Amino acid sequence: MKKPGRERILIGGGTLAVFLLAWELCADSGAVNPLFISSPSRVLHAGVTLIADPDFWNDVRVSASEFMFGYAAAIVIGVPLGLAMGSSRRLSYILGPFVDTLNAVPRVTLLPLLIIWFGIGIWSKVAVVFLSAVIPIVISAFAGVKTNEARFLTMARSFSASRGKIFSSIVLPGTVPYIFTGLKYAAGRALLGVVVGELYAATAGVGHMIADAGNMFQTDILFFGVFVFTATGLVVVALLDRIERRFERWRPNVGAST
Amino acid sequence: MKATAPIPAPVRFYSVHERAILGTVGVVLFLVLWEGFGRGWWAELLRPLLGPQAMRFEVMPIFFSSPTRIARAAFRMFLVTGEIWKDLGWSSLEFVLGVSLAVVIGLPLGLAAGWYRRFSYAVAPFLAAMNATPQVAFLPLLVLWVGTGLAMRVLIIVLLAVLPIAINALAAVRTIDVRLVRVARSFSAGEWLLFRSIILPSAVPFLLAGMRLAVGRGMIGIVVGEIYGSAAGIGMMINQAGSRFETDSVFVGVLTIAAAGVALVELIRAVERRVEVWRPPVAT
Repeated sequence: MKKPGRERILIGGGTLAVFLLAWELCADSGAVNPLFISSPSRVLHAGVTLIADPDFWNDVRVSASEFMFGYAAAIVIGVPLGLAMGSSRRLSYILGPFVDTLNAVPRVTLLPLLIIWFGIGIWSKVAVVFLSAVIPIVISAFAGVKTNEARFLTMARSFSASRGKIFSSIVLPGTVPYIFTGLKYAAGRALLGVVVGELYAATAGVGHMIADAGNMFQTDILFFGVFVFTATGLVVVALLDRIERRFERWRPNVGAST
Repeated sequence: MKATAPIPAPVRFYSVHERAILGTVGVVLFLVLWEGFGRGWWAELLRPLLGPQAMRFEVMPIFFSSPTRIARAAFRMFLVTGEIWKDLGWSSLEFVLGVSLAVVIGLPLGLAAGWYRRFSYAVAPFLAAMNATPQVAFLPLLVLWVGTGLAMRVLIIVLLAVLPIAINALAAVRTIDVRLVRVARSFSAGEWLLFRSIILPSAVPFLLAGMRLAVGRGMIGIVVGEIYGSAAGIGMMINQAGSRFETDSVFVGVLTIAAAGVALVELIRAVERRVEVWRPPVAT
């Protein structure tokens, strides 16, 4: 494992460096108009300028609150709903058609409706983030309950464990990996919701900044905005990985690792 | 005398079809509730109780529309004026071009990254970064590069759909049974034969799974690409209807896209089942 690790970093880093260098040279030599592709140094420069700019932080704050409100609401509603649907057959029969239908609809298509309902402020974006994220969370929590080890359930029942006890000591721990898979997937969807919502109609936010920069040919700001989203995506997934490991520490290391 | 009383027929019917019955009841209740808001049934019903306050339960049709309005709009758009067919045609064109291009780019890329370790190291940082980025953020950049025409709408679909295909192709090669490769090699099979007779067949399930994801992404791409003005297309139709507060048309568009997505995914599932027939059930 050690040696390929070094090779991996060397080759990966090398390619990245060559790519950035080529990009820079293309723009600086005038082979391609920097207006269209900007260049790493210009993007860096734009980034430094933006970080000192209170307007940029306002955009970040707006986008971050849209993401966090929507995503948090999706977790708070999605996880219990998925668990409940997994635990109660009847509930899953009743709610199944609704979840399936919403799952089939690309949620960003609902934006025009959400704008009519909530206006072009932050709440229409919170709503689209929520809708984007809640469905994968519900489905994964539901699947987690459904794939419980039947042996454990049988044993718990034969020791006459109560429903509550079974739920808290077998069902819930068993669903954790599934829920986290759902949460990670949902984070990507939520981020997509933020971007599309802000491109579509917004008055502030990093997506709105990107759209504005595009209209004004400020390619450097545009790229910096995209990188902000890339960084956010990477950080959120890394964070969830960490939390998942903490939850999973007790689990003996058998079976397939995810 | 029998030990247990016979189960009455209605109860037996219920327990056999419980899923369908409960599902239908839920959906019908929901539709009735929805229709009632649009038509003011609940306002009428609650007026004696709440007085003028009851009017809150009659919602303007521009907000929620109602199932019958949506059905009527769908009937008009599909059968009477037929205006939606042009939009469907354009969106389908974008979708087919975009997803095909995504396959043409993503498949070789993923297969190569799975097969050649060094190549995978080289592309890994780019794949990881692209995967973490909501690819729609590149939309304004694409507009800058190619304008708002068909090319932009195709490219955004490519951007969205290429990653699931590439990543699944990579995973497919990585999970190939090493023994098979070793056997082939020891019989001095060439790279091409190896590729054709071992890699490609074992990769098919992953590729189809990637295709399913790509279809969903492509559907998003259709709608997102048409945000920035477009002559025709379902996404454009939804946007315009939304800005004119024609909620019923918006719902028709949304449901059409959903139906198309479900149909395509089911089609791929059918292919998956067909392809899986030859495979012995042991190998995983």
